[in-house]
Amino acid sequence: MKVFHAIWDHLNLLHIWAESSGLPLVISRRRGRPPKRPKPRPHPFALDSDSLREAIGEITGSLIARSANSGAVTIRLPSFSQGPLPSPELILETVRGDEQATALLPWKLATSTLDPHSALDLLLSLPIRPPHGIALGGSLRFWAEVAKFSLELIVRQCFVPTVQQIQPEGSTSARASWEVALGEEDRERLRLLAAAMPPLCRALVPSEDEPSAPPLSLISHFLNRTVDAFVRERLSATKFRSPRRGRRPKVIPLAEQWLRALSSADATLRAPDKELTAFTKGIDSWLAHIRPAGSEAPFRTCFRVEPPEDAEDGSEWRISFYLQANDDRSLLVPAELVWKARSRVVTFLKRNFENPQERLLADLGRASRLFPDLEESLQASHPTALELGTEQAYAFLRRSAPLLEQSGYGVLLPSWWGQPTTRLGVKLALKPKAKAKAAAKTGSGIMGLDAVLSYDWQIALGERTLSRKEFQQLVQLKIPLVKVRGQWVELRPEEIEKAVEFFQKKRAGQEMQLGEALRIGLGQGESAVGLPVMDIEGQGSFKDLLDKLTGDMKISLIKTPRAFRGKLRPYQRLGVSWLAFLRQFGLGACLADDMGLGKTIELIALLLHERAGKKNKLRPDPTLLICPMSIVGNWHREIQRFAPSLNVMVHHGAERLSGRAFKRAAKQHDVVITTYALIHRDEKHLAAVEWDSVVLDEAQNIKNPAAKQTQAIRRLSAQHRIALTGTPVENRLSELWSIISFLNPGYLGSAKDFRSSYALPIEKYRDSQRAAALRRLIGPFVLRRLKSDKSIIKDLPEKLEMKVLCNLVQEQASLYEAVVKEMLAVIESSEGIERKGLVLATLMKLKQVCNHPAQFVRDGSPLRGRSGKLARLEEMLEEALAAGDKALIFTQFAEMGGLLRPYLQERLGCEVLYLHGGTPQKQRDGMVQRFQEEHRGPPLFILSLKAGGVGLNLTAANHVFHFDRWWNPAVENQATDRAFRIGQRKNVQVYKFVCVGTLEERIDQMIESKQELAESIVGGGENWITEMSTGQLKELFALSRDAVSL
Amino acid sequence: MARRKKYWEDRYYPSSTAKPVKDGIKAKSQRGAIGETWWSKRWVSVLESFNMGARLGRGRSYARRGQVISIAVQPGRVKAKVQGSRSKPYAVEIRLQPLADRDWELVTEAMAAQAIFAAKLLSGEMPQKIEQAFDAAKVSLFPTSRSALDTDCSCPDWANPCKHIAAVYYLLAERFDEDPFLIFKLRGRTKDEIIEVMREKRAARLPEESVPSPADAGLMSDEEVTPLEEQLERFWQVGDLDTFEVRLRPPEVDGAILKRLGEAPFTIGGKNLASLLGKAYEAAGAAALRKASEDKA
Repeated sequence: MKVFHAIWDHLNLLHIWAESSGLPLVISRRRGRPPKRPKPRPHPFALDSDSLREAIGEITGSLIARSANSGAVTIRLPSFSQGPLPSPELILETVRGDEQATALLPWKLATSTLDPHSALDLLLSLPIRPPHGIALGGSLRFWAEVAKFSLELIVRQCFVPTVQQIQPEGSTSARASWEVALGEEDRERLRLLAAAMPPLCRALVPSEDEPSAPPLSLISHFLNRTVDAFVRERLSATKFRSPRRGRRPKVIPLAEQWLRALSSADATLRAPDKELTAFTKGIDSWLAHIRPAGSEAPFRTCFRVEPPEDAEDGSEWRISFYLQANDDRSLLVPAELVWKARSRVVTFLKRNFENPQERLLADLGRASRLFPDLEESLQASHPTALELGTEQAYAFLRRSAPLLEQSGYGVLLPSWWGQPTTRLGVKLALKPKAKAKAAAKTGSGIMGLDAVLSYDWQIALGERTLSRKEFQQLVQLKIPLVKVRGQWVELRPEEIEKAVEFFQKKRAGQEMQLGEALRIGLGQGESAVGLPVMDIEGQGSFKDLLDKLTGDMKISLIKTPRAFRGKLRPYQRLGVSWLAFLRQFGLGACLADDMGLGKTIELIALLLHERAGKKNKLRPDPTLLICPMSIVGNWHREIQRFAPSLNVMVHHGAERLSGRAFKRAAKQHDVVITTYALIHRDEKHLAAVEWDSVVLDEAQNIKNPAAKQTQAIRRLSAQHRIALTGTPVENRLSELWSIISFLNPGYLGSAKDFRSSYALPIEKYRDSQRAAALRRLIGPFVLRRLKSDKSIIKDLPEKLEMKVLCNLVQEQASLYEAVVKEMLAVIESSEGIERKGLVLATLMKLKQVCNHPAQFVRDGSPLRGRSGKLARLEEMLEEALAAGDKALIFTQFAEMGGLLRPYLQERLGCEVLYLHGGTPQKQRDGMVQRFQEEHRGPPLFILSLKAGGVGLNLTAANHVFHFDRWWNPAVENQATDRAFRIGQRKNVQVYKFVCVGTLEERIDQMIESKQELAESIVGGGENWITEMSTGQLKELFALSRDAVSL
Repeated sequence: MARRKKYWEDRYYPSSTAKPVKDGIKAKSQRGAIGETWWSKRWVSVLESFNMGARLGRGRSYARRGQVISIAVQPGRVKAKVQGSRSKPYAVEIRLQPLADRDWELVTEAMAAQAIFAAKLLSGEMPQKIEQAFDAAKVSLFPTSRSALDTDCSCPDWANPCKHIAAVYYLLAERFDEDPFLIFKLRGRTKDEIIEVMREKRAARLPEESVPSPADAGLMSDEEVTPLEEQLERFWQVGDLDTFEVRLRPPEVDGAILKRLGEAPFTIGGKNLASLLGKAYEAAGAAALRKASEDKA
């Protein structure tokens, strides 16, 4: 794998370099003492120039890669005696030792260099999830964030044209450039970036012995250069003025030269020294108008807006002047107090201040240019405030206040200002069409998102709907700020106009589909009326449904179905009720609870609930459950366990039914379980059945909307659709789109629109407004509870154990049967110790086959797709990692651990630790320490049961996987307790893997059913099995038909 | 090789043969009126109202060509060197009658009565009503007649003002653009003196009250940097940027920066630079917004 890093230098170049795990890690050891000033040596595992460029092309496309040049830098890196330490992102195929950095040493490496414009291009086109085998190092991700900031500053027009005379003094040329102009909040964000800058960004060894630039200046430099490059490039096509007529003069005036130099590749201005100096001075003093005056001063000038106490008596709005402490914005010194100060240095609020009066006066003078009304108040000798009429106050709030704020003044506005609740908007009022009314009332009829409703827009002021008359009264006041029932509201003239227009055109009885109504009402964009949408409101019989959908009203809880064998935890009952509620109205639901919260039994309870309601009818249509191959057995067993009354048919394996036989069989069952892999292949048979519901487990399997499998699934006809997933869907938006489009087709619009209006702004730019809009939009259809939710925690035990039942794949099954056949024959003809040994050997072999054929055969063959357990482990780990959790994986076989480590590293793209009997003590300590580091360190830790089962403290993990079983609860619990012990602050989930229909399941059942056996006999290991008769062994080892999946 | 001058040319056609000056002070404005702010314009219009003849116009082109080598404003007087046709530059001196202390007293008293005077002056602008404050003392800020200007030039021209003096008049206007307090200096008071007096006057207008004395020290503002050697632990890691949201929305107030900057001190073809630059903001802002929605997924 390759890890990419970035470094920004003072020559305006971004250097990209990469580490490769395919290169040797160490250099040959130097002889003798290390020199005091070590000479830079070539970095042993950095990519060379050509491979680098090729790799950059892989990430961002060849166009950007082509604009890169070859470069070289010397960087200081944490190193040990034999070379630089790899970055944490670099996952090594070999096990990393316990090397500790002993020093920062200089290393020479090849880079690809990009000028500011190409650097911006590259950084902005980095993928959110890089391709397999490539990781973006912290420094690269950091500069990508800064690049987005550059882009933002251009979008927000926060840049200024500047000119600097080129040193030395007396020079006859100057450089024109664009620079960023940062407001106070932006400077705060700049500081946030500076604090987050990886130290690596400052590790460039400069040519001279100067110290590396501090983070703030480095970032400012980057911002200025990239903004300049972008604006300059963009302006090369812009004509600032009509072309000069007539002859071109010999000497072009500086102002004109400047405009040209700001908008073309050549940034130079030429003129005699004094002229240039005068020009530069002129521009500088012009630009000084926006430089925040004395931000280093302890105080700044601040305006506070106070509305009149009583709007009726015509009293005035007041803007009073204060000095505001820069380090604590809540400290205000009224102007009255400032005027009383007599000495030059005054102390307010324990802060010293030089010449406060002059500062206040100068600020007021500057502010009057942005806010001319201010001048009037300055007629007084000691002005403290300004009185304004409503119109003027409105102009101040809307136009002057933002300008003043950007210019570095404090502006304290009333809290209601700018709130959507104090603005004019519209509400979407919905009611069912006359004939649909009855259905909605009883809730029996299925409506779906395409149900047609009649709708009406209502003008609203905040929460309140306005009648035409009330609205007209407000309009007649003809003032932009009005107090309505004790609350100030803003009536924007342009919005009033739109509202007036709306009332003129208003027609009754328009229709809209429920889906569109929800999209408009919850997405809260602009309405057809041109006013912002405030709310969506159901009327009459429709009110309940809508309130429940939008979460304004609680959903009534269902009773636990009588046929359900077990107990639902309170949150599970809520989950089932929610599923039942959406189903009732024909809406697709996505249950996205955290892994381990019991989505499976929630769904089983729902199936029972549905069937209980249909007692009188004929057998209802079956439900089709689609899941990954590895958990078919798990589903089957869980349904048998919790809902024995349901008839389950498993549709997979070579002997599965087809055509008419399949259709007939399906109709005789309540649930048909099948796998994703089969959907496309068996579409013909599956599509022939009218399904009551289609349920997707691990619904992230349809994340690729173009896949044949996904499309086949979407074509299945069903009354109702449900998706189950444990991955945080809100973080994987393309997946979310695909799932919601399966559940409620069309609701999120086209994939392309969804990407541009939600996925891109949220994933790339962390747009919180878009994210909030999306959350509202999908809210009715997605229920996601986390283990860490307070309401969930109280329902959960601290340690939650569950069996994970996995299927064998065909290869495993054949091997398994071969082993059983061969061994039983030998066992039958042997006795005593020999027989004992053979039984134990058989147990061992069969367990190996259940784990993975490659472990049994030991042929070093590839692992993928050849073990149900491994597939399931991979799926579950993916979910745990997506939630940011850490996990322990126990196996009793050292060789299995050895196979798992590289496989999981490669598949999951993260470092995996592996501790076994042969790991030296020093390395063990290092691993434990790295694993326990909060928020970082490798997230997965494989341990051999014997070596890692005792003593270690691994509380950073909150998932424990037992990949194979020791059949001794005491030993397993001891291992589990590595995570579940003092220091653990989360709930711990324990998963014990068992292969369905094999000896693993049978032994597990025996232990479960005979607890006393487990305690006394099983405590001695697996010996008790050797005492079994051959007949018993035959039964124990036999492979039942449901063991195999495809 | 330059044409050899005939002996009379110096005397009779001097305007065409002034010696070029390397690095002279050129007027910023190369066309139209000189002076950007209302007060420098006022200075120019006061002078032009004195009917000083064609020399004034020639002085303006002198100023634009950069014939003035140096200018120094001192209390009550301006000294300048202007390159004419002779090899040695002419010495120009312009004196303005300084106001009497008593008059200054009255003027500052009037200015202290309204905060706008101090506010505007401190923010680098001349208050529009400044002349009212001088009226209060029955004096004038700008000269009211030619006789108020006492001038000297070492050139042989008998006209007053000669074009050399006139050139200095115009360049003075541009100096006033940069620093409005220079006008006061010419009338005998420096900026600091005026500010100090006004502070006292403001104080005098308030009842006496004690103010606590200075106590705490100032605040640190330098960027502190931890040496790399002490950061080996997190050497590769980005800090927490979860709260770093990128806001790709056009500005609340369009062209806000230019609005805040106000008129630029330069124009091209009669159009102010600030208004010409408006296009740059629109074009770059829109392009960046387009780039933000580019999608290479």
